[in-house]
Amino acid sequence: MNVPHWEVMLREVTGIVGVRGALIVSADDGLVVADSAMDGLETTDVAAFAASLIARALRTTTAMRTAAPSRLQVSAEGGTLFAVAGAEPLWLVAVADTTAELGRLRLLLGDLAVVLA
Amino acid sequence: MTDSIPTLPSTTQGLAFLDLGERLRQRGQFEAAATVALAGLVRYPALADAHDLLARIRADQGHDAPAIAAWRAALECEAGHVGALKGLAFIAFRAQNFVTAEQYLETAASHAPHDATILAALDRVRSAAPAPAAETFRLDDPASGLLLFDAQGMRLTGGIGPGSGERDADATAAEASGLAREADRATRFLRLGPWQQLVMESVDARVAVLALGAHATLLVRRSATTPPGRLLATSARAAELSRAWLEQSS
Repeated sequence: MNVPHWEVMLREVTGIVGVRGALIVSADDGLVVADSAMDGLETTDVAAFAASLIARALRTTTAMRTAAPSRLQVSAEGGTLFAVAGAEPLWLVAVADTTAELGRLRLLLGDLAVVLA
Repeated sequence: MTDSIPTLPSTTQGLAFLDLGERLRQRGQFEAAATVALAGLVRYPALADAHDLLARIRADQGHDAPAIAAWRAALECEAGHVGALKGLAFIAFRAQNFVTAEQYLETAASHAPHDATILAALDRVRSAAPAPAAETFRLDDPASGLLLFDAQGMRLTGGIGPGSGERDADATAAEASGLAREADRATRFLRLGPWQQLVMESVDARVAVLALGAHATLLVRRSATTPPGRLLATSARAAELSRAWLEQSS
């Protein structure tokens, strides 16, 4: 799968009501590989923070002697950040506001991450 | 129950006492079996399988406290020893402590995901257990999978589940506090507001990290088979308990 296909995939994610943006991130360096976002959402910022969170989550699970995380969800008062692991080092990341159907978004990200290769 | 291969430097012949002790146990000759196991432990005090053998003998004799002590010794020798985890689950189940039994079995399943006997035991425990709403929490029990720590990453109470020690809990608290700080930084910068909770999922665990104000954070660890909604419901109840604990401690 190539970048144009990824962008089609990301638009499917942002098609869910309440999703402000979706992107594919290289977790190694926090760079955006592909993105689809509403105005006002800086995907470069999202990618950098997502990569940092993924690295911290990995250190935590290592301390717990559990396997590396394949999903990450950070919930805040004004929305949620989702990250799902694809083929290493890629992660599929989405930012949603409080109106989004999180169960549906979670499932879609999981399905799409499988084909992220 | 003993099917793993000892990893200590030793000859196969030198560990024959394990087979002999097990055969005596199966024949019901518990005193003779215990004598064999204890003699083996004198020679191999760090051999988890030897502690496991002694524990099974004691459990068969109905001596739960020595059995628990021996299985805990096995876990000290070999963290994640499946036989010891199954044994501790058995004792907990016999005492009708279904939550603890389930936790031990979930940990065993994470170490041996293809062991059908563990999955069958998990089904049995879950069918015998009361509804999840009746789950009780004990913050001071490291086996509960509830870990409370302060903003500096210092453990306040709790642990990260069966088979893990204080050192693992302390290391987790230190790392998870950094994760919590990063979550707070990210959500504020991305204009999502103050963070409330973070969930991590892996093939062998589901973990929730909850903000309890500026000074404390709660980590809840459950098995990978725990439904996401149940993890959040459990975490919310554990957070209430933690807030009460913090108020009492301050």
